[in-house]
Amino acid sequence: MSEYADLAEFGMEYAQDHGADYSEARLIDGQRVAFVLHNGNLISGSELPWKGIGFRVLCNGGLSFVSVDNLTKKAVKSAITTSVKMARNSNPKEKIDFGPPVSNVAKWKVPAKENLRDVPLETMITKLQEMDKVAEDAGINTRATIFEAQSLTKYLVTSEGTKIESDLSMLKFIGVITAKGVLDSEQRYVDLTRSTGWEGTKTWIEEVENECGRIAKVASQSDHKLTGKVDFVVGPEVVGIICHENAGHPSEGDRIMGREGAQAGESFWRDLTLGKSRVGSDHVTILEDPTIPGTGGYYLYDDEGVKARERVLIKNGIITEPLLNREFGVKFGMGSNGSSRSSDFNREPIIRMANTYMKPGDFTFNELVEDVKHGIYMLSFTEWNIDDRRYQSKYVGFECYEIKDGEITETMVRRPVMELTSIGLFSSVDGVTKDLNFDFPGICGKSDPGQGVPVYAGGGSIRMRGIRLG
Amino acid sequence: MLEGVQYVCEVLDWVKVNDMDDTLRSLVDYAISVGQKQKVDLILGLGSQSMNNQIRFSQNKIDINKQWQSDLIELLVVVEGNQVSIGSFSPRDEVYVKERVHAQIKFAQNMTPSPFFMGVESEKHEIDHSSYDNHFDSNIDEYREKAPQVINTCIDEAINTGAKRVAGSFLFGKNSYYLSSSAGPTGSFKNTFYNLTVRAFQEELDASGQGLACGRIPTSSEKDLVQAAAKAGQFSKSHKNAQQVKAGLYDIIMNPAVAANILGKIPQDANPLAILIGMSSLGDKMGEKLAPDFVNIEDNGMQPGGLATTPIDIEGTSRYNTPIIHEGVLKSYIHNTTTGNMFQGESTGNGAFVDFGIGSKIMAPAPTNTVFNNGDHSFDELLDTSRKTIYVTCNWYTRFTSRISTEYSTIPRDAAFLVEKGELSTPLKNFRISDKILNHFANIDAMGNDRVQVKWWEVSVPTWIPTIRVKDCRITTATQ
Repeated sequence: MSEYADLAEFGMEYAQDHGADYSEARLIDGQRVAFVLHNGNLISGSELPWKGIGFRVLCNGGLSFVSVDNLTKKAVKSAITTSVKMARNSNPKEKIDFGPPVSNVAKWKVPAKENLRDVPLETMITKLQEMDKVAEDAGINTRATIFEAQSLTKYLVTSEGTKIESDLSMLKFIGVITAKGVLDSEQRYVDLTRSTGWEGTKTWIEEVENECGRIAKVASQSDHKLTGKVDFVVGPEVVGIICHENAGHPSEGDRIMGREGAQAGESFWRDLTLGKSRVGSDHVTILEDPTIPGTGGYYLYDDEGVKARERVLIKNGIITEPLLNREFGVKFGMGSNGSSRSSDFNREPIIRMANTYMKPGDFTFNELVEDVKHGIYMLSFTEWNIDDRRYQSKYVGFECYEIKDGEITETMVRRPVMELTSIGLFSSVDGVTKDLNFDFPGICGKSDPGQGVPVYAGGGSIRMRGIRLG
Repeated sequence: MLEGVQYVCEVLDWVKVNDMDDTLRSLVDYAISVGQKQKVDLILGLGSQSMNNQIRFSQNKIDINKQWQSDLIELLVVVEGNQVSIGSFSPRDEVYVKERVHAQIKFAQNMTPSPFFMGVESEKHEIDHSSYDNHFDSNIDEYREKAPQVINTCIDEAINTGAKRVAGSFLFGKNSYYLSSSAGPTGSFKNTFYNLTVRAFQEELDASGQGLACGRIPTSSEKDLVQAAAKAGQFSKSHKNAQQVKAGLYDIIMNPAVAANILGKIPQDANPLAILIGMSSLGDKMGEKLAPDFVNIEDNGMQPGGLATTPIDIEGTSRYNTPIIHEGVLKSYIHNTTTGNMFQGESTGNGAFVDFGIGSKIMAPAPTNTVFNNGDHSFDELLDTSRKTIYVTCNWYTRFTSRISTEYSTIPRDAAFLVEKGELSTPLKNFRISDKILNHFANIDAMGNDRVQVKWWEVSVPTWIPTIRVKDCRITTATQ
């Protein structure tokens, strides 16, 4: 437990004493060790103490958020006084309601065998330099590495009796990789983020070697352009981003009801009916689950103290359950499903994804491929985007092979473009494999100021029929 | 939005000042003295004290009021000539500061030599504050009380001009900074700022408009804020019954928000850090003609009213006005002391602690205010074309296949219109610009005379830019 837990409780109670109907304090305390490398050279590093408290207050139906990094009673009193005043003065046209009280008391932690605080700096530096060396040996001429090891404790305490203590351990690694190619340079981010102790780095060298080998191969061999209409077999990395962008984001309750309208946007789900509207074929079932150990999106209680659980966003092509926090749980009449996350003490908790994936189907990979006369096998992607209703999406293939007469050939297809609506995309799916891989770790951005939270995404492989290339 | 890694240059905005809490200032000085006693090669500290507020609103009502209070010291420590550590912490007292400085020195001793550090400014300059008048609003504290009322006025204005639903965010606040360096330079500065995004919708999801306003003096901003809201309302109303675009080549008239996001990326690529890590299109283009003669772009750290305007950079070097593109030709990169040395030049006063989003910060060049020249065409003159042309008022989710070749796509959102017979005609929706930004740059056809400062969610570097017309842009749409 952090030495500042008493201060968090003091602030929560001080808000109650000063007229808050509801108050909460979320304390973060810990350290971050970070490095930046460029082509193997360590160009910067630091060990950062990281602490602060974020308070939310409800007063007369008005909501406020205040954060402080100066952890003194004086600063907390000043922040809470401001917070209560802001909430009271907002006098909203529609009062915010968090629904029935939540009073969970629990402790949870990220499973970590080797505590990141015990890992010598030299060990971290050596590992990063070894990873850089294998990337160089794979033929990658430009490499930037950004690394952070986070060991944090989080303490959530609310006026309703919730007390959640958690020990977080996260490794973040992003390699910015550029390989000179025949036609152009090829660029890609290699993301190895995971919730784990230092043992999570054991496979990193192998993973970087594998990934950089693939990037170098694309740079040297990918030159075959295809046009017209083809079938696609799409690997878990691409399935993951599709699930995240075309299903996860539009399922966010705050988007559906317009709260993210100014920046992140709204959602095409607004005009659909839960439990009735079809957005894909029967093969498409998309799940969201924060409780998967090791993933970037791992948690057991959300940032409002609600117990985490699996959510079924789309079942057999029909939209079923939006992601909800307490406020939007009331608005939808469904209650929270534990989707409230905050990226740091200085960010308001809002509705976020955790780990989003397509439920495995009943095909083997060979069964998917053998039935394709002419198509593309897309293992990974590069450029992508989607509109702010989450309806018009684009995915550009990175490592892609031509499929002919049911066989994956050695011919690498250069940057094929899938430019599809969400419904067009999910409706074209006619097969999903039995396996499940979370091949896509990423940082999901939302809100203003931005909140990047680690997420995972994945699935098996899927087959999509009759896609006209963009 | 899934960000992947976002290359973020932390732009410090400073302006003259004197009212930082004396305790924080003295703790910065104390940190420097602790480092000097330990005989480090360099210790440089930046103390910052900020109180920033935000009001977020949607569905015609305020959702939440926020405030961030922060006291922070960021420290650069260099030992053994070029072993570098950059850290930050919220200071409590001298005991804690001493502990942090010692920890950071120990950390730097574990580092290997960095080829990316070759010193900082060593001369102590008299800081000329004359360019920084009107960067601090002395009524900012009282304004916090008034701001919700101003936002309700904006919501009403958007509705009065045609919106059915209004959403947005209004960020404002004050910051003060104190820089101290064992190499010599010191300086203290303060500023205030505001930044409004208003988005107006009809009942349908795909009829919307956006208005932006930003600047330094919140209490003088009400007229601009209300105008931004009115623009959002008008655009959303005009965008009703938008039609699907057909894919193909079009000329595009980019309003300043769109031009800043897309075209602004080229001058911001004139950064040695971006070049070294493969994230720049300009690594091999010095002296090349990239745009027509009438295009001139500067990185101006002294731009009056600029949201990145400061008297000195993080290294203590005076800010400059650096010509990046002159008459269409790439003339210079921005530099800090280190990259100035690397490229046989001098610092252009662009030193900053650059933040990649995760990981440690590094001391490197970062853009200040990107300033395009104002053009000489009225908006009506820009519309006066017989070519197939689209006017785009907002875009988002710009992503690259290659930062070097600038192959990219972005999604226009909110109001867009076909231009016919010199007027805005059919409202348009559901399309994507998929092209190379270097191609757009070469195809700049005309520049408007309506230059404004843009900084919002999709434009992190303050960019002064007018409406710009670009020929032959590739438009794509969903194939099913």
